[in-house]
Amino acid sequence: MSESPKLKGPLAGLTILELGEEISAPYCGKLLGAMGARVLKVEPWGGDSSRQRGPFPDDRANPDLSGLFVYLNAGKESVAINLEHAEATVLVQAFALAADAIVTNWPTAKLCRLGVDYATLAKRRPDAVVVQLSLFGASGPLADVAAEDLQAQAMSGVSWAIGAAEREPLSMPFQQGDFQAGAHGASALLTALLARKRAGKGQLVDIASADILSFAAGTNAMIYIYYGLLRWGRAGPRALGSGGPYPYVILPCKDGSVCLIGRARKEWDQLVEAMGRPAWSADPRYQDLQAMGRDYPEEVDRLITPWLMQHTRAELLALAGVHNFPVGPLRSMAEVVNTEQFQVRQFFVETPMADGQQRAMPSLPFRFSRETIEAAAAPPRLGEHTDRILAAFLQQSAFEISDMRRKGVVR
Amino acid sequence: MTAAEALSGYRVLDFSWVWSGPMVAAILGDLGAEVIKVEHGKRLDNSRLRGRPTLKTGTAEGPSIELNPYFHQTNHGKRSITLNLKNRRAVELIYRLTEKSDIVIENLTVGALARQGLGYSDLAAINSALVYLSMSAVGQTGPLRDMRAYAPIMSSFTGLEGMVGYPGEAPIGMLNFGYGDPNAGAHALVALTAALWSREQSGQGQHIDMAQIEAILSVIPEPLIDQIWNGRAATTKGNRRKDQVPHGIFPALGQDQWVAISIRDDADWSKLVALMGQPAWAKAPDLSKLTGRQHAEGVIEQQLGIWTAMRDRDDLVQQMQAADIPAAPVLSIEEQMSHPHFAERELLRQVDHPHFGPERLYATPWRMSETPPQVRQSAPILGADNQYVFCEVLGLGEAEVSSLIADGVIA
Repeated sequence: MSESPKLKGPLAGLTILELGEEISAPYCGKLLGAMGARVLKVEPWGGDSSRQRGPFPDDRANPDLSGLFVYLNAGKESVAINLEHAEATVLVQAFALAADAIVTNWPTAKLCRLGVDYATLAKRRPDAVVVQLSLFGASGPLADVAAEDLQAQAMSGVSWAIGAAEREPLSMPFQQGDFQAGAHGASALLTALLARKRAGKGQLVDIASADILSFAAGTNAMIYIYYGLLRWGRAGPRALGSGGPYPYVILPCKDGSVCLIGRARKEWDQLVEAMGRPAWSADPRYQDLQAMGRDYPEEVDRLITPWLMQHTRAELLALAGVHNFPVGPLRSMAEVVNTEQFQVRQFFVETPMADGQQRAMPSLPFRFSRETIEAAAAPPRLGEHTDRILAAFLQQSAFEISDMRRKGVVR
Repeated sequence: MTAAEALSGYRVLDFSWVWSGPMVAAILGDLGAEVIKVEHGKRLDNSRLRGRPTLKTGTAEGPSIELNPYFHQTNHGKRSITLNLKNRRAVELIYRLTEKSDIVIENLTVGALARQGLGYSDLAAINSALVYLSMSAVGQTGPLRDMRAYAPIMSSFTGLEGMVGYPGEAPIGMLNFGYGDPNAGAHALVALTAALWSREQSGQGQHIDMAQIEAILSVIPEPLIDQIWNGRAATTKGNRRKDQVPHGIFPALGQDQWVAISIRDDADWSKLVALMGQPAWAKAPDLSKLTGRQHAEGVIEQQLGIWTAMRDRDDLVQQMQAADIPAAPVLSIEEQMSHPHFAERELLRQVDHPHFGPERLYATPWRMSETPPQVRQSAPILGADNQYVFCEVLGLGEAEVSSLIADGVIA
């Protein structure tokens, strides 16, 4: 890595308008903002719903201290506009025309009503870049259907393969489809800006959580659906049919659970070696790892589990280090946040908050050699930057601003 | 090269293996970049080595390393060259290619490429505009930097795997999926496009140190923050959400038929009660408010499940969607791949592989109105582009190439 002094983030100089709430659009804005972009957030009149979500310090609800809100919005500038007010339309449009790009998770109908949908904006500004994030797409048969992240996971084939065979399918926790839309939205937005720099044209980028999850599940499912007797489906704590050779499973041990994976013959031999080569391991029935994985994995689980139950996760990890077989302890959140690796890389950063305290939270999962990632600034209070943004960004006079506030257009 | 490609003109050297890195490179290819996969005939990307796939029409013909649909998915649209990088002359060919390239992608163990003389500082000395993306399991620094891990071992390490399970039961994880890989790819692409944007302004490239494990932590802020701030450990909670009750997956009529239902608020609940025909159990007044439903969550799930289990999945979804209640079928992977919604989204594209024949691959899941991602072709035959890259791009003569082959440099 370079030793020379670092510059501001790679996106310094860009201004992004965020029209959205909850997770997907704010996560997109967060990623761009942490890399140096200025992010103007138009908050709904009552504030982003994630202000109500928590977790809150000491469980005391406070819209400025919600963990999810702070994580997703630290460093952004908040302007609170009453979108139901007749004069709001002009204001939102002015922001949309002045920003370098827009990210939104508002529904298309709402964008149209406010005149900030791509088709309307492009007539006034052909280089407009609008990134629309949704669960099922900006247009098409399911665009207007009521949905949450759970429905996107259901239709993508993700849920089909999580859970026990005879019980209801499960989903990935904490709205992963929304986070994926935010991450893909950020790189798609930058791609559209790169394209605009060359050709001068803007575009509509339509990103759907269900598409991304289908792409991810469908990619991995190709291993399953094309290789004989495997299927994409639920098999409790293992991949169905072990997804190939034994083992590919989560099993209990003395102080919790471990994830045990062997994809190569050598890895199995090393595991058996670590167990002290028990007599059964020489039986011809336990030589064909494909058959063991596919046809009687539970039987093999029962042979291994007593040995696992004699060892803690730490002991198993130490044995794995000596004997070189892949094992991963399932770790608690307490263990995760105290991991030396993350401390050395300063992954958890102190963020200043509205009550004057600093509290730690995750930062970005990448570092740039030439440019620095700014330490997170405080998250905005609702409408905290309304005056500053209206004055500096839209050149509104103090009189005009107070007039809008008096009429209830802005907070 | 056409004007409708966002990233045409960029050349990418792809040293990555398996899923996360190849996915990033394939997306750049869908967006118009020229991606050269650097392979070695004696040390293949292990996703070429999964054996001969089974098709409905029988066993596919041709060399088995060319037939893997998973490899086709993760490497579609790329070119392939074969070099023995242990040979100094091969490394020098990469140096010459570096002069004519824009991006390097690698997900190997830390230092593996540097030992061949192909680390960031080696290549940046040749081309300072190069953007070099490293995406190892835990990053390029820290005590665990040498850790190698399968995706489920990474997600076990971050606590995510341990939060997947039925409420209050031991974790069962989601071992089919390997979520850590596509999540790492999505976040790596954010950093990469940001570095490209920065390069467009300054002409300077840089090294990106991306940590796949940190990318998982980035999408689970709520349990991490609850642990750091309040010392509260996350537990398995099935499909439940504390702010939406009920929120889950329920049985429908028939074998393995399921419906995902989310009740976002009290209004959704009254719509659901009406749709069920106002049954006595659901009309209890305390259930009309979220707090009441939170207390009765288990009972509500049981009663709702009895009602859904007597109904056809698709009829039920249709009725619920008509009533503006979030509902979707849980689709198998085969249903997802043939669903009219995803067909309308053009998620899968038909290509023709020289050995495998016609196949459908997932395109980059972004709809861009001006520069739509394209699946140009299936994955390359091993070494198919040696001639193009060494003769046309580098301008070597036929005799020189023959000698490089004879000496095992191109191998």
